[in-house]
Amino acid sequence: MGHAVAKKPTTTLSGKTFNTIKRNYQTPFVILIFFLIWQFSVVIFNVREFILPSPLSALEHLLLPQPDANYNWSVHISATIYAVIVSFAATSIIGIAIAITMAWSRLINDMMLPLFIFINSLPIIAIAPIILLWFGYGIFTNVLIAFLVAFFPVVINTAMGLNEVEEDLLDLVRYLHASKWQVFAKIQFPNSLPYIFTGLKICSTMCVVGAIVGEFIASDRGLGYIIINSQFTMDTPPIFASLILVSLIGVVLFGLVSVSEKIVMPWHQSEPIPR
Amino acid sequence: MKKLVAILRNHYAKLLTVVGFLFVWQLVVMILGIKEFILPTPITTFSYLFIPELASQYDWFTHIETTLIEVLIGFSATAFVGVFVAVVMTWSRFLRQIIMPIITLFNSLPKIALAPLFLLWFGYGIIPNVMIAFLISFFPIVINTIAGLNAVEEDLLDLVRYLHASKWQVLVKIRLPNSLPYIFSGLKISATLCVVGVIVGEFIASTQGLGFLLKSAQGLMDTPPMFASLILISILGLSFFGFITLLERWVMPWQKSQQQP
Repeated sequence: MGHAVAKKPTTTLSGKTFNTIKRNYQTPFVILIFFLIWQFSVVIFNVREFILPSPLSALEHLLLPQPDANYNWSVHISATIYAVIVSFAATSIIGIAIAITMAWSRLINDMMLPLFIFINSLPIIAIAPIILLWFGYGIFTNVLIAFLVAFFPVVINTAMGLNEVEEDLLDLVRYLHASKWQVFAKIQFPNSLPYIFTGLKICSTMCVVGAIVGEFIASDRGLGYIIINSQFTMDTPPIFASLILVSLIGVVLFGLVSVSEKIVMPWHQSEPIPR
Repeated sequence: MKKLVAILRNHYAKLLTVVGFLFVWQLVVMILGIKEFILPTPITTFSYLFIPELASQYDWFTHIETTLIEVLIGFSATAFVGVFVAVVMTWSRFLRQIIMPIITLFNSLPKIALAPLFLLWFGYGIIPNVMIAFLISFFPIVINTIAGLNAVEEDLLDLVRYLHASKWQVLVKIRLPNSLPYIFSGLKISATLCVVGVIVGEFIASTQGLGFLLKSAQGLMDTPPMFASLILISILGLSFFGFITLLERWVMPWQKSQQQP
C-alpha cells in the first residue's frame, strides 16, 4: 500500500504530458520506422536516385549549401508560404463574413446555401487555367486559385453552424425579447465555433493544395514550380525536398488552427482528423 | 412522365438558377462587349460543343472518354481498397496501430503535390492520372468507414457478445450495416476529389482528356473550348455525385441522406 501512495505524486507531476505521450507514442515511432525502411531499402536495393532518392539525400539537398544548387530555396519557400497565408487569411475572413451575412436573413440563406453546396461539389480546381488566362503568371493567380478552392468549405461550415441552433433556446430568448444582435452574438456565433474551426481546418489543407496546383500550371516561383520543373529534368531529390517542405507548411498551418481551436474552445473535443 | 414532372418540381429552383446564370452571362458579355478570348458567351461556348464544323476541331469524344475512364477506374479502386483497409484496421488492433500513423502522415500531406512524381514513375498515360485520383480520394473513405465501423452502440455489442456472436458475425451483421451512411458520405467526398485528381493529373501529365484540352487551349488563348471543357467537367462531376446519391437511396431507402457530406 505504501508503495502505491509514494508513487502517486511522481506520476501526477507530469501526468497529462505522460498520458499524451502514452496515447500517441506509436505515431512518431511508426513514422520513424517508415523513413528508416525507405532509407534502407533505397540503399540495399540500390534504387537509382532519379527514381527514388533516399530521405537523407532529399534532406541533403535542402540543408547543405551546394555550389551547384539549382534552386534558391528561400525565394521559392517564401513564395509558397506567402500564397498559402494570404489565401488562408482571405478565405477565412471573407468566408466567415459572407456566412454571417447569409445567416442574417433567412431568405438569402435559403437561396445561397444550396447554391454554395452545389458549387462545392464541382471540381473547382478545373478553373485554374482560366484564372491563369485572365490574370497572367504571378503570385496573385496562385492566391486566387487557392482562394477559390478553399472558400466554399468555410462558408458552408460556418453557415451550417449558425443555422444549427436548438429551437427551444431560440424560443426562450425570443420570449425574453432578445435583439437579433444578442441572439447572434450570444447564441448563434458561439454555437457555430466548432463548425467554423472544422471549416478552417479543411481550408488550411485546401489552401496548400490550391497554391501548389497554381504553381504547377502558372508560376515561375514556389515549391510547386520546383516540383514540376525538377520532374522535367528527372531531378528527384529536390522533388522530395519540396514535398517535405510543402507538407511541413500544411502541417504547421493545420496545427495553428488546431491550437487556436483549443484556446478558443477549451471545452470542445474535436476529431483528430477532420472528415 | 409523372416522375419527370415531380423531379422538375423539386429542382425547379436549381434549374432556374442555372438558366438565369447563363442568361446573365450572355447579356453581360454582349452589353459590355467583352472580347471572345477573355470571356466567350455561353452560346459561343455551346456551339463549340454542338456545331459540327467547330466541334470537329476538337476530339471531344476521345477526351470525354479518357477522363471518364480515369475517373471510373480511380473511384472504384478507392472505394474497394478504402473500405477494405478500414475493415482490416477495425479487425486487428495491431494493424490499426501500424496503419493509422501512416494514414495520418499521408493525410496531412498535400497529396496533389505527388502528381509529378507519378508522372516520372509511370510515364504519360492513364496510369499516373488514376494513381493521383486514387491517392487523393482514398483517405476520406478510409477515415469515414472507420468512424462508421466504430460508431456502434455498446449495448448492441454487449448483447451479441452475450449471445456468443463471432467476430465475423459482428462485422457483417452489425458493424458494416451501421457504417453504410458513413461509407456513402465518404464516397460522396471521394467522388468530387476523384474528378479533381484526374483533372490535375491531366493538367500536368497527359495528351488526352478534358484537363489536357483545358490546359492546351489555355496555351493557345483559345477560350471557348476551355469553357466548354469546364462545363463538361462540371457535368461529369455532378452526374457522378448524383449517381452515388441514387445508389445510396437504393441501398439504404430508410436513410435520409445529408445534402452536404
